[in-house]
Amino acid sequence: MNTVRHPKLNTAMGLVIIIVLLFPIYWMVNASLQPGGATVDTAWLPLNPDLSGYRTALDEQGGNLMTSLMVALGSVVLSLVIAVPAAYALVQFRLRWADYLLFAVLISQMIPGIVIANALYNVYAEIGLLNSIPGLILADSTSGIPFAILICRALMGSLPPALVEAAHVDGAGPVRAFLSVVVPVSRNAIITSGLFTFLFTWSDFLFALTLTTTEEVRPVTLGIYNYLGAYVNDWSSVMATAVLASLPALVLLVVAQKYVAAGATGGAVK
Amino acid sequence: MPRHLPAAPRGIHRGAPSPGNSRTSGLSRRSVLAAGLLAPAAALLTSCGDSGRVPANTLRVMDSYSNDPDYGIIGGALEDAADRVGVKLQRVAVSGQSLIQRVLQQGSSGTLPDILMLDNPDLQQIAATTALRSFDELGIPTEGYHDGVLQAGTYEGDVYGVVPTVNTIALFCNTAMFQEVGLDYPRTWDELRGCAAELTADGRFGIAFCGNATYEGTWQFLPFFWSNGADERSIATEEAAEALGLVSGFVQDGSASSSVLNWGQADVKDQFVAERAAMMVNGPWQLPELSGIEDLEYEIVMLPVRDSAQAPVAPLGGEAWTVPATGDSAKEELAAAVLTEFLSDESILSMAEQRFTVPGRPALTEAYLQRRPDMDTFVDLIPEARARTAQLGENWPTTATALYTALQLALSGQADPAEALDQAEEYV
Amino acid sequence: MSTTDVHAHRTTTPPADRATGGGAQVTAVRPPRISARGRAWRQRLVATLFLGPAVIYMVLFFGYPVIQNLIMGFQHYTITTFFTDEAPWAGWANYTEVLGSPLFRTALANTVIFTVGSILGQFVLGLGLALFFRRRFPLSGALRSLILLPWLIPLIVASAVWKWLLDTDSGALNRVLMGSGLIDSGIPWLSSTDLALFTVIVVNIWIGIPFNAVILHGGLQTIPQELYEAGSIDGTSRWQAFRHITWPMLRPVVSVVLVLGVVYTLKVLDIILGLTGGGPANATQTLATQAYQLSFATFDFGQGAAVSNILILISLLFAVIYLRLNRRPVDE
Repeated sequence: MNTVRHPKLNTAMGLVIIIVLLFPIYWMVNASLQPGGATVDTAWLPLNPDLSGYRTALDEQGGNLMTSLMVALGSVVLSLVIAVPAAYALVQFRLRWADYLLFAVLISQMIPGIVIANALYNVYAEIGLLNSIPGLILADSTSGIPFAILICRALMGSLPPALVEAAHVDGAGPVRAFLSVVVPVSRNAIITSGLFTFLFTWSDFLFALTLTTTEEVRPVTLGIYNYLGAYVNDWSSVMATAVLASLPALVLLVVAQKYVAAGATGGAVK
Repeated sequence: MPRHLPAAPRGIHRGAPSPGNSRTSGLSRRSVLAAGLLAPAAALLTSCGDSGRVPANTLRVMDSYSNDPDYGIIGGALEDAADRVGVKLQRVAVSGQSLIQRVLQQGSSGTLPDILMLDNPDLQQIAATTALRSFDELGIPTEGYHDGVLQAGTYEGDVYGVVPTVNTIALFCNTAMFQEVGLDYPRTWDELRGCAAELTADGRFGIAFCGNATYEGTWQFLPFFWSNGADERSIATEEAAEALGLVSGFVQDGSASSSVLNWGQADVKDQFVAERAAMMVNGPWQLPELSGIEDLEYEIVMLPVRDSAQAPVAPLGGEAWTVPATGDSAKEELAAAVLTEFLSDESILSMAEQRFTVPGRPALTEAYLQRRPDMDTFVDLIPEARARTAQLGENWPTTATALYTALQLALSGQADPAEALDQAEEYV
Repeated sequence: MSTTDVHAHRTTTPPADRATGGGAQVTAVRPPRISARGRAWRQRLVATLFLGPAVIYMVLFFGYPVIQNLIMGFQHYTITTFFTDEAPWAGWANYTEVLGSPLFRTALANTVIFTVGSILGQFVLGLGLALFFRRRFPLSGALRSLILLPWLIPLIVASAVWKWLLDTDSGALNRVLMGSGLIDSGIPWLSSTDLALFTVIVVNIWIGIPFNAVILHGGLQTIPQELYEAGSIDGTSRWQAFRHITWPMLRPVVSVVLVLGVVYTLKVLDIILGLTGGGPANATQTLATQAYQLSFATFDFGQGAAVSNILILISLLFAVIYLRLNRRPVDE
């Protein structure tokens, strides 16, 4: 299945797919390099690249990029710590109320973010979590946690119970068995959900908008949004910021993809 | 967790509403319950909210001038006023579209700022909630403003906000293109139709305007609607249909792009700058950018009227400054003192000059025109400019929605103008 | 630690003895005997330990907002409510009002079309990509990691870029089509009432492909190679292999991807607001945009909540179906 007869042909096809898929992103990069933020008649190629957009973006958004990174990584850690054990428990223990919990997790994904954001604002205002990285991490995990539970559960479905039994035979307690056996074997599921949790949080805009009011803690999505004010339309800076905002995440993706590719664990055939 | 527990936890700032809050219940029961649930989580994480105790001589300000140059200009004027009163300011500028959401959230958590800017059509609704203090009670002068300006800030007979500098919209005409075809700038609808058709050429439309499904679309339609004698209290009338017929006619006969259905005012400006439109409907806030563009010559004229006997009626734009009722009377007094300074002649003039907006007080017109002679068209429109909320007060948003719905129906050719208005009226 | 092969053969022994110096590893052949009741109790304790944090989080961060929204749907909840905390009880008034409005029917129909169209497109293309990138060929890994790129771009930016690309007169797409002589005048992608919904669906598919492709790819990774090897000896065709091995093995992942896809698509807001604002003439108005506009443009929060509750109810139907399909057999 994995061996192909015409490797070059496949590579060419893959390239075509990616080029079509990523054209809008090329356009964004192209626009970020255009001088003077021309918008209507954007040239096809950035022949006279102008980096002033990037200068503006770096000056103004450097700190915001760090904020976004901290929030996203924090959210990945929190989501996985909460979700992976839960997903495992749902798969492993046949609980009567597991179905209800699963149902609740599903429902949680249906709630429009704005509903959650508005409710959280009031609570945060009372307990002083506005404008704080922990506050954003907690709020942003509303996408990560349920998602990670569902994905891990789906991908752990093929986990052979015998594997855990064996660990028990070796005298490991449930927690040890989980850490030393289940986690390594479910690497694929964990990385996939971690990756998406990162992306969810990285691109979150709603909570950033609702739960921050100051410059100190401002995720980059909100920084971009503030550029898009009604009176100033310096597109090249906006696009440059968007490009910069994509870079750290891109690096992470490439690294994580490596693990996903390597992580074919091949659970037992049932 | 990127930020580990700090060495010395500072405990949680309970964002207590300022003392003596008029809401005796203080916190609503719901939030107390929730706070109780979340407190353990919060105890693990220290942070500083935006409603921590603010020193007595510091006022919190919120506005939506989140971009330079406006951010700096307004900030400077506020700082000057605060210096003269002898207080410090803590200012937050949020993006325009999220301002109202933020105001509502702060209203419900009792953390409203001491000085608040509101877009003028939103003022009525906030005033109706009793969240604002009346200017007369606080002793902020309200004399000498244009009628429309005062009306925009008045709710049930009391003034709750004042718009220091105002704006409206007019017709920007590309001079070179007009010379090319040898036409005069249009003054009536017929002339406007003629010009738009005549100026349409390959890769260029005669006119660009904003007809999108937001209040911006409504705002750009109002001059035609009002100057023809239509009335927002009953939108399905012949006068309104005539105005709608004019605007949708541009798209139907190809003198305007069908993209006007999606263009905001900034997109319209982009089209004009790229010389893909010979005329555009827009406001003076585009002037800083337009004047910086070489080889772009334009003339600004009043929006044409159907019959030359009619007077142009411009919608009044601009942001009002208000004092929220925070329950802290000392701070409310200080806020009133700062706003009084902020609304002084020199302060208004300098903001108007820097931001290409028109002073809200007729007495300042002459001095202003000396500084900004190119703003004459807008200055002439302001005395008769009409506040969007003058007739309907807090119920304006519903009608505004109906108007852009009708606009969209007619522009897209889904319905003829009269039908479009009938259908849209169902929403009111 | 890139490509250390995690034992890909069938095994029932834990990975190489982890002598971490922790508790002495007693090679007890038999598990310590615990009474059946004791074991059940212990299992419950462990389950609580594993599930507890998730349950607490769900209650705090979802339970409370949902209950608030449900209550709000039965109240006359307006701007004033935020300041006075008073929201008169409305009974079913918000619902009758909303359900009776002409816009609701339009929005409901659009929501169905938007969801079905988006999901079909995203899933089919995503699965195709996942299967394609399962092959090993030069650059396959690098290209695969690029699929996720559309997700990195903030939606506000993505919709702004698409808006340019799709502009009737100067958009890149129409310039290409006109340049190649396929059309003589620009297609009004976003400003025609007939095309706008289709266009918005296409953009949403573009945004959703990464999600589908990557998760389905993750699912494909868990299918053991041996199955195919066994099949290839019998000389099964590719299609048969897909039908009898890949598809059944992938089913749990497929169902979760589909149900999440539906739920996420029903909620889509920013893309539509950014591209068309629900226009032209409500051609792209969905329940999500209607709920948003009721709440934040006309400030009728009670009706806005009613619409979003209806939206949640529709998603619930899908959740029920998903759980039905996903009932784990009692015996493993």
